[in-house]
Amino acid sequence: MLPVLEKHATRDAGQTVTKEEPVTTPVIRVVDLWKIYGEETDGSMALRGANMEIARGKVLALLGRSGSGKTTLLNLLAGLDRPSRGYIEVEGRNLQSLGEKGRTLLRRTRIGFIFQFFNLIPTLSAFENVNLALELAGKSTPAQAFEALESVGLKGKEKRYPHELSGGEQQRVAIARAIVKAPALILADEPTGNLDTATGLQILELLSSRCRDLETSLLMVTHTSMACRFADRVLRMVDGVVIPEDDGEAREIRNEKIESGFPAEKPRHHR
Amino acid sequence: MRTVTRSFLRYLVRRRSLSLLQLMGIAFGVAASLGMAFSAMSALASFTHAIEYLQGKSTHSLERNAGPMDEAILQGLISDPSVESFSPVIDRRLRVADGSQIRILGIDPFLDTAIRPELARTSFSDDRRKGSEESLSFVLEEKAVLMEAGMAQHLNLAAGSKIWSSHGELEVIGTFPNPSGEPLLLMDIAHAQKLFNMPGLIDRVDLVLAEEQEFRNRWKTGFQIKSNRQRQETFTAMLGAFRLNLEALSLMALFVAVFLIYNTTMFAVVSRRRDAGILRSLGASRGEIILAFMTEILIFGVIGGAVGSVMGYILSRLLTEVIGGTISNLYFFLRPVPLAWSFWMPAAGVLIGCGASVLGSIFPLIELARLDPVKALYGRSVSRRGDLAAKKVAASGMLILLLSAAVFLLPSNSIYTAYGALFGVLFGLSLLTGYIVIVCSPFLTGFLTGLGGIPGKIAAGNIRRNLGRTAVAVAAFMVALSMSVGLSLMIGSFRESLLWWMDRQFQGDLYISNASEKEVPESFYLELKSMPGIAVDAYRKTQMTYRNRPMFVSSVNAPVLQRYASFAWLSGGDEHWEAVKKGDVIISESFARNFGVGAGDIITLEGMQGPARLRVEAVFYDYSTEHGLVMMDRGTYLRLFADRTINSVAVFLDPGNPRRPHILDQIRQKARQHGLPVSNREQFYGNILAIFDSTFAITRSMRFLAIIIAFFGIAGALMTLFLERKSEYGILRALGLSTGQVALMTLLEAIGMGIMSFLLSAGSGTLFAFILIRVINLRSFNWTIFFHPHLSPYLLTALTALLASFGAALYPIWMVLRTYPQMQIRDD
Repeated sequence: MLPVLEKHATRDAGQTVTKEEPVTTPVIRVVDLWKIYGEETDGSMALRGANMEIARGKVLALLGRSGSGKTTLLNLLAGLDRPSRGYIEVEGRNLQSLGEKGRTLLRRTRIGFIFQFFNLIPTLSAFENVNLALELAGKSTPAQAFEALESVGLKGKEKRYPHELSGGEQQRVAIARAIVKAPALILADEPTGNLDTATGLQILELLSSRCRDLETSLLMVTHTSMACRFADRVLRMVDGVVIPEDDGEAREIRNEKIESGFPAEKPRHHR
Repeated sequence: MRTVTRSFLRYLVRRRSLSLLQLMGIAFGVAASLGMAFSAMSALASFTHAIEYLQGKSTHSLERNAGPMDEAILQGLISDPSVESFSPVIDRRLRVADGSQIRILGIDPFLDTAIRPELARTSFSDDRRKGSEESLSFVLEEKAVLMEAGMAQHLNLAAGSKIWSSHGELEVIGTFPNPSGEPLLLMDIAHAQKLFNMPGLIDRVDLVLAEEQEFRNRWKTGFQIKSNRQRQETFTAMLGAFRLNLEALSLMALFVAVFLIYNTTMFAVVSRRRDAGILRSLGASRGEIILAFMTEILIFGVIGGAVGSVMGYILSRLLTEVIGGTISNLYFFLRPVPLAWSFWMPAAGVLIGCGASVLGSIFPLIELARLDPVKALYGRSVSRRGDLAAKKVAASGMLILLLSAAVFLLPSNSIYTAYGALFGVLFGLSLLTGYIVIVCSPFLTGFLTGLGGIPGKIAAGNIRRNLGRTAVAVAAFMVALSMSVGLSLMIGSFRESLLWWMDRQFQGDLYISNASEKEVPESFYLELKSMPGIAVDAYRKTQMTYRNRPMFVSSVNAPVLQRYASFAWLSGGDEHWEAVKKGDVIISESFARNFGVGAGDIITLEGMQGPARLRVEAVFYDYSTEHGLVMMDRGTYLRLFADRTINSVAVFLDPGNPRRPHILDQIRQKARQHGLPVSNREQFYGNILAIFDSTFAITRSMRFLAIIIAFFGIAGALMTLFLERKSEYGILRALGLSTGQVALMTLLEAIGMGIMSFLLSAGSGTLFAFILIRVINLRSFNWTIFFHPHLSPYLLTALTALLASFGAALYPIWMVLRTYPQMQIRDD
């Protein structure tokens, strides 16, 4: 595989490369992705030709307001939904050509998922929730599950059930569940959406650091800019289109919001 | 996979109340089905054992077509080359002190050892000296009997005890074990002839034939020769329609249970939707999720089935006696013994429970298999989709209804297709429920709002919004209530038809020895006939075969009935009696339909002198037997069969006779002197109605069980709604609804569902009754029941619906009272 230059994929022809570095095939590559609900002519378009790439071991934040199509994109990347047009490559393989079985296998072994509302199985303990991921991946080693829980700061709470844990603790279990199988990519949908600011910062710190340690790519979807300081890149979803945060169009949109009284967002932190 | 399954199964423990409701629903459904099956099996086993025991080593039996025969024929049998051995038998019934009827066999103890060696061997004590004494007593003492050991124990009798019977006091000289369990007395045949006032007569001869065909050729005129197989087939055929209807009843109860399972399984699918979405997002396959769910379903099936089998066994012990009484009243003597508990009973329960669980879970499993993980994860509203689904389901229901209607209209007499179409109608109607709930929702909202204000309005909205649960519970309850309405209307119509028929056919002032095992001595009949101012009808009814199928022949005094009765003819009037007096016959509607015979046709019966051709004059309505009845004048009967037996006598007096009360008293006294029971017309009607009511005891118990099962359905739906909406209760509390208001809302949800169920059942139950009367009964029993709608079934069913709804709401209300004050807005 020849190293290729990292690019920011945009709809425009011109491309901006912040720096040149040797890279492998991106973990995720999205090309002209569309998702339309209902009839094409009068249906609702959740995605309108989204393009993006996620390099290995990188942390991406995807900002956007509610209804902009962020969650739809995540579901498509995880193979839980099917696009209307375009394609997705995961580690060089076309997701659609894998079939249902192949996509299921991918979710078991190569993709981890973290949700806003934690989505732990309520009838399983913290340990069992984490071990479930290993079991499905065919690598059930209880020690790994214990280690994963310890790494997220939940040693001693393995036997507790979700209703016995706080929101932050539940999200830690969800993180442990996602990272325990050492996936290539973690998709996090509003991981701090249901947490207070302080807890949310802790979670973001934990998530991003664990991903960097494991060289796991992380795509965080969020509507707050708090996550940006932990991201290598920030993208923005606007009406179904992915735009890099420092793109002129995005800046224009941001300015429009400031003029209309929309709270100004904090400046993006560059790494 | 193990953890996936474990995650599902733990819900069973977490939601214990719901799990228990589902288990009880399955258990009751299995209990109803097995209870009926076990009772029917015990009846069949008892009658098979009794027949086999009584048949002993005999291969055939010889008897007259009607009535007892002269014992002189034994001379002919002694010299018949085909006969290896024979034993003359008197086979009668008598009533003992506790009112129960038992069989008594009069046998020749010496001849009978060749036919029933087991009976002979065990009849007398092993103690040789005592055995000899018993043998002598048996032969010499007029009132000596041997009693079956179980019966002796039950009546607390031992050798030397006296026992009262309807034919006088008897002395028990010993006991014998009877493997068939049937209560039985043995008496020397000569003493039995005296006891039953039949000197020189016997009922039949049991034979061991070396060769059959030649024997038949020699004895075919005036006699019936039946092989044991033929006898068994005759008895089985007589029970055919009865058994089929019992089985259909139990299947209906199971049908309701399957609905209940569907209801609770659908809830389980809905409540696990998010878990299933999470598991899919983690990489679990559809197959793994379905397999985990199937494990849960089968656990319910196994436990519910096992519990149901125990309940069914207990139920069968109660039903066996009822069935035995019904069979004895309507068909032939039978005292069934309940089946002993055995390992295959819980196995059968588990099989039925699992089968019902899987059947009830098919659609929920399909929904689970088609689950969209994205929608499941993000909890997208399915209310619009729910309406569309309800319409599609209703369309399927309409199609099934139309197909079922087409099946009914087919020119067929098959009872199986009729029952299949009936189930199709019930199923089709239940599929319409969701759409009907949608259509009636505005009216329900208005009603519940008027009843309970805002809680009522929310309750109506909840019923409407949660069609996936409420529609199925309403459907299950509707089916059960429909059965209640339908069966009540059918039984009520039947009762009215019976009353109408009795009023036409039975106009006597007194009935002597009716519904009794005692025959009326001909001398007494002649004595009554000679009394001035009265008319007497001597009635004889006996079972025969026609075209190898059982039917009955009866004899009456045609001139008397012509004058005093007003028969219920299918066409024409009492002018038909003229032809009967001249030797023609009249047939019952059942006979006409069974054998395709009508007025003007010729039927051939085997008489004493060989085949006798008889012209059918007319057809009349009759409910005495579904196998068909051929009625003739007594003169014709005596000419054909030379059977002078009289089963009962009806006495008619002119209403204007001034000595009427005196004459009636006189007749009563004379009858009592002969030890014959006497009833006036009202009492006679009462006896018939008592038999009728006891016949439907089983039907009533099945109806009751179906209501119980559906009650669990409503309770399950309410618990489901409560558990599902716990998070909403936090919102209601934040908005300011009080605990009392939320409890009222829960109650009104129950009442709303109950009202919907009742209103639907009023219509569907009436249709059900119509089908039972015009199709099922007609094809099962070949008689017409006239539809007599009345209000009481509807009122009773409305009350049942209300009470059941109220009862079903009690536990959820208690849960609300207990937990609501602490509820907060939180995600589950």
